[in-house]
Amino acid sequence: MLKILLPTIMLVPTIWAVPAKYLWSTTLSYSLIISLISLTWLKSSAESGWSFLNPYMATDPLSTPLLALTCWLLPLMILASQNHTAPEPISRQRTYITLLTSLQIFLIMAFSATEVIMFYIMFEATLIPTLVIITRWGNQTERLNAGTYFLFYTLAGSLPLLVALLLLQNNTGTLSLLTLQYTPSMQLSSFADKLWWAGCLLAFLVKMPLYGAHLWLPKAHVEAPIAGSMVLAAVLLKLGGYGMMRMMIMLEPLTKELSYPFIIFALWGVIMTGSICLRQTDLKSLIAYSSVSHMGLVAAGILIQTSWGFTGALILMIAHGLTSSALFCLANTNYERTHSRTMILARGLQMVLPLMTAWWFIASLANLALPPLPNLMGELMIITSLFHWSWWTIALTGGGTLITAGYSLYMFLMTQRGPLPAHIISLDPTHSREHLLMALHLLPLILLISKPELIWGWTA
Amino acid sequence: MHLTSIMMATSLIIIFLLLAFPVLTSFSPHPLPSNWALTQVKTAVKWAFFISILPLCLFLNEGAETIITSWTWMNTHTFDVNISLKFDIYSIIFTPVALYVTWSILEFASWYMHADPNMNRFFKYLLIFLIAMITLVTANNMFQLFIGWEGVGIMSFLLIGWWYGRADANTAALQAVIYNRVGDIGLIFAMAWIATSLNSWEMQQMFTLSKDFDLTYPLVGLILAATGKSAQFGLHPWLPSAMEGPTPVSALLHSSTMVVAGIFLLIRMSPMLENNHTALTICLCLGALTTLFTATCALTQNDIKKIVAFSTSSQLGLMMVTIGLNQPQLAFLHICTHAFFKAMLFLCSGSIIHSLNDEQDIRKMGGMHHLTPFTSSCLTIGSLALTGTPFLAGFFSKDAIIEALNTSYLNAWALFLTLLATSFAAVYSLRVIFFVSMGHPRFNPLSPINENNPTVINPIKRLAWGSIIAGLLITSNITPLKTPVMSMPLLLKTAALAVTIIGLLTALELASLTNKQYKPTPKLSPHHFSNMLGFFPMVVHRLAPKLNLVLGQTIASQTVDQTWLEKVGPKATATLNLPLITTTNNIQQGMIKTYLSLFFFTFSLALLLLLY
Repeated sequence: MLKILLPTIMLVPTIWAVPAKYLWSTTLSYSLIISLISLTWLKSSAESGWSFLNPYMATDPLSTPLLALTCWLLPLMILASQNHTAPEPISRQRTYITLLTSLQIFLIMAFSATEVIMFYIMFEATLIPTLVIITRWGNQTERLNAGTYFLFYTLAGSLPLLVALLLLQNNTGTLSLLTLQYTPSMQLSSFADKLWWAGCLLAFLVKMPLYGAHLWLPKAHVEAPIAGSMVLAAVLLKLGGYGMMRMMIMLEPLTKELSYPFIIFALWGVIMTGSICLRQTDLKSLIAYSSVSHMGLVAAGILIQTSWGFTGALILMIAHGLTSSALFCLANTNYERTHSRTMILARGLQMVLPLMTAWWFIASLANLALPPLPNLMGELMIITSLFHWSWWTIALTGGGTLITAGYSLYMFLMTQRGPLPAHIISLDPTHSREHLLMALHLLPLILLISKPELIWGWTA
Repeated sequence: MHLTSIMMATSLIIIFLLLAFPVLTSFSPHPLPSNWALTQVKTAVKWAFFISILPLCLFLNEGAETIITSWTWMNTHTFDVNISLKFDIYSIIFTPVALYVTWSILEFASWYMHADPNMNRFFKYLLIFLIAMITLVTANNMFQLFIGWEGVGIMSFLLIGWWYGRADANTAALQAVIYNRVGDIGLIFAMAWIATSLNSWEMQQMFTLSKDFDLTYPLVGLILAATGKSAQFGLHPWLPSAMEGPTPVSALLHSSTMVVAGIFLLIRMSPMLENNHTALTICLCLGALTTLFTATCALTQNDIKKIVAFSTSSQLGLMMVTIGLNQPQLAFLHICTHAFFKAMLFLCSGSIIHSLNDEQDIRKMGGMHHLTPFTSSCLTIGSLALTGTPFLAGFFSKDAIIEALNTSYLNAWALFLTLLATSFAAVYSLRVIFFVSMGHPRFNPLSPINENNPTVINPIKRLAWGSIIAGLLITSNITPLKTPVMSMPLLLKTAALAVTIIGLLTALELASLTNKQYKPTPKLSPHHFSNMLGFFPMVVHRLAPKLNLVLGQTIASQTVDQTWLEKVGPKATATLNLPLITTTNNIQQGMIKTYLSLFFFTFSLALLLLLY
């Protein structure tokens, strides 16, 4: 555990000590080495229990894929940010990488925490660097509004969680994830218990985000710089899904009935946000709304509480993390060339950037869940477990897949196909850096096809 | 392991490797040589075809069928997904047919696309498509089948949108995917039902376990899937639109391989289908409706590719009817024979289109028989095979289907519709021949007409041989699984031929009427109905997307997201707190009187509370 955490912490002094000339290459290779070492977590000898245990941290099949994803994302963020921070003074560049690194530190501690309260603290701690990334490094004045939305939605959702956790500590005497699942189930019947149930889940549902509490997400994504969008879509949203899966064990008897409205919201959100995507003119906003739609499916899969639901949700979280992050990177390559997020202004890019089109195509296909990509495995498992619960869900999930295919290909056709407008004939050629970035996003996704057990969580 | 099954498995793996090799080597950073398409891709497909003859011979000789299961791909508690290949009559026969047709089409494409700067990429797409198709055909579990199913769908998206600068090509590509996705909902529904009820996606387990269940719902899902993929009525408009793609694509995907995948799925699932009469009736009526409706649309089209496309759709309807008759083997036979003559019809029209400087309108053709005798002869052979002329390929399947339909006790309405569609086939086939190869030329005098090129002649010739003898070859070599009715009244026996001949005579009469001007103001509404595709796209392509886009814009985005959620959430927090803030703020004006009176007030209140 500390083999990863300590090097990550030591990355901070390295950032400030390394000569300016080698700043980006050093941090990139350093973080990439960390992420490669983190892959050893995936090979855990314990069948279903905890491994790499220390007094405060451990990994289990649920957190390992998310941890590996977290570590994998830092080098990618560094790669993606290199171009747009280049004109800034060197100290600011160092600050920026430090922020990204601090985010990884908090996220590792959040995902590997064995105490719920430590998870909670780290969950909140990730807000700070993210807020700074959005409001300091965003491009437009709306970034301040986006930052406010981001902060207050998440805070308002998570303060009840603190109260609920203190209550839980009072009742059971422990908040350790190692023992919590063995505590005798509580007698939960009163109205206050139902409020407690809601308090336990609200923070995560806002973070996912559940449809209805999702307003902060498109704003944050649109205004954040590329690294912010990437980490938000790839990992921070997954904190919500992870937290929900952890809490679900304790909420057992109540969830069965209380989760109905939330499942309905989540599934209805798939349709609604998908429809919004069909009308988007703003590329980043489209990808952000598509995230809401996919995370709705994840939320429904978790709330249904079957092993297929959990497995599907975890697979979809990992697959969606890589896919949406890749899409944001692609959107950013367009943005860095045309300085606009409006799709209609950058059409027919296949003519000028043909290899980029291949990445766009693979990423769009992953977004619409083409078999046998992990995205499909996840969606299929969630759809099946929802279907087992109620046949009517197929109308919403099936409609969702239809709309998802529609807007993913709309995005692809809109940006890559069609005639090339006259104003973008002199674009920068693509850099190897950008192709490397895309390859590092999509190769893991493709390789996971051959061994999906790695991201299957408890049922593997 | 038995020697035969080893040989079958080995040859299939070799086929896969042969096909995958050019795709994999094309990822090398060195640019491909310009003749890569011919030297690598076409050769690979050709050799794959010759190798696929081996399992075919083994099957014909020994009747050998086998299933290879290897490598558990994924497993959750009790649910396994394996890599599992099925070699039964269907996959063993269809693979050589598909490879043979593809081989011819690839050779033709090297002529048709010779001016395209990305010809290598085009061939690569076709090859990936072929791999997906063979995956679909040989799959022994639903997941593998789904991979092939979506794979062919997405390759069709890429190939229809090949000329991506054109808006029409892009919309047609999108349209194909969306219609197919509607069908996929049915497949996903069926897969979810099978997974939850039968707990396995392996075919033989599904067939064994499903005996005790009411299978109507999953079968309706599968029929919906087949409706999308095989362009049955309701989800049919994408197939004629797909003609925006290059002609080799139409020949390969939209006539002989991809569009039959839906029918193939139902043939695969026939052990589940055969005992469910509701599902069979749905298939029968859906197929009959499709075959008549699309044949009607074909009658008045002027684009040569659209006519062929609608005739494909009509034949797919006929295959669906056969499924509904519970004769999956017959439907499969029609898939195989249809592949030859329909691919050839497309290649002939491609050759003519190319010769006439990319002119697709049959009204601007004419007299081609003198200028391109070979192509137009093959066009005629193909049309004859399509109409079921005795002893050409189509006869063996089409006649058998109509006989089976005539002698069955099922729906007379479906029978009537199908017979009508059969006679229409003669009408539109005659119309194509009449306009294209007969009469006087109506095209520009300076057309680059030349069919004297082996890459045009050879593929068409090969498919022409197929269109002539494939029916005989296949029917005389396979054992029918169901006993065909051998004796029937003369009227029923000759019904198929009779309606075709009646159709032909009517068409000839109509053609001669056009020269005579008996009726200067003809009644146009039936023509409009047929020419405008039954007004179906007009209604459906406007209504459904508009509803969804309005939902997206006005309701989801503007009303809910930008108004209600904003006002109830963040904006409400601000407005609710504002009065309190302004009140407390306004008091703090530095007035000593206010402070003192407030202090006195609180103090007295506290005192009172303390005392009582």
